[in-house]
Amino acid sequence: MIRNLGKTVFAATYFLLAIPGPGEAPPNHIDLSKFPATQLDDIVVPLPSEVFNVLDKLGTPNWQEQLREPVVRTRGEREQIALLLGSVIAEGFVAVEAADKARVKQIGRDVLELARAIGVESTVLTRTNSIVTKADAGDWIGVRRELDGALTDVKNAMIKLKDAQLAHLVSLGGWLRGTEVLTAVVQKSYSSDGADLLNQPDLLRYFQERLAGMPPRMRNKPLVNRMQKGLDEISPLINQRVTPDSVRRINVITGQMVRAINSRA
Amino acid sequence: MRRFFILLGFWAILRPAQATIDDAITSALFALDQYTKQGYIVRDDQWGGDLGLREQKAIPHTLFRGNDYWFCMATDLENARVAIHLYDSRGKLAESDSWQSGRFAAARILPLATGTFYIIVEVTASPKERTTWAMVYGYK
Repeated sequence: MIRNLGKTVFAATYFLLAIPGPGEAPPNHIDLSKFPATQLDDIVVPLPSEVFNVLDKLGTPNWQEQLREPVVRTRGEREQIALLLGSVIAEGFVAVEAADKARVKQIGRDVLELARAIGVESTVLTRTNSIVTKADAGDWIGVRRELDGALTDVKNAMIKLKDAQLAHLVSLGGWLRGTEVLTAVVQKSYSSDGADLLNQPDLLRYFQERLAGMPPRMRNKPLVNRMQKGLDEISPLINQRVTPDSVRRINVITGQMVRAINSRA
Repeated sequence: MRRFFILLGFWAILRPAQATIDDAITSALFALDQYTKQGYIVRDDQWGGDLGLREQKAIPHTLFRGNDYWFCMATDLENARVAIHLYDSRGKLAESDSWQSGRFAAARILPLATGTFYIIVEVTASPKERTTWAMVYGYK
């Protein structure tokens, strides 16, 4: 009893002392160039839903028109399967926007097949079952969360399996398909708000560096090489003010890259 | 908000004294919970590690104009204090709101433009040489 009383008193004291406040005022400006490299993390790759969340607010594009039927190959090189897995998960977001139950359910099954092909099936089993169930119920926000979760779980499982390189390819596959869709939507009705979403030069540089840092046995594979060349083409377009013409060019390049991911066996 | 900080007080007392990264993550998620109730979507991922006193860590992140983000940081080490602030790619303070309460801290941003932002985390007081911390975020 004394112990409980003590805790209660301590809780009250804690609350009184720990009144939330702004804390120490942070400096208005910091010199990022002087930040020690050891204290600088890798860039955080945003989730597809962070982009789609903004797209939701920009209008109501014809999402059905953006849907693609990816060719899901579960045999072949692991690099291709990883890229494909990322792009299929991104396709899931388009299917959610289009409220296409059948496509979302098929994508859930495809994600499971691809995850199986690279040895991380058990990681996403619950997620993919949930995608199917939530799609049936029309719980689109729930499906988005499961797709985000599947992407994160797959990447974390690969990192645990010492396959971080493949995890980067999953992220890249998702980013490419997401960027292709984003540019297609922005192209249809150009607005500076829409084009602003493409201002991601550091993220692009991150992917370029990840590909460049891969061991030669991976980096020299034709598909990975193709990805590197595509990113190099996109880079100057993203590193300047994004114009209607650069949106169109990025759409063409990412479209070609996604087709390469889908078509090459 | 007041209820949240009362809960935070109880939470702090009931947690075990020995800090681990899992405990820090749980604490950070606890701090984020109030925003989840306001419709923020929690990213199912965490960042963390350990920092020395007054040591900072920068986490670059592409944030999108049109989204509204809350980043929450916590440690499970009693009597420690942490801070989290958000800067744009030119090093200018970019957060629209922030708070600090013991071993919890949070910062909010509504980016004026899409681009790279830097999440700066810091341990501002601690009874130990190294302090375990974790960061999570939500957006809507």
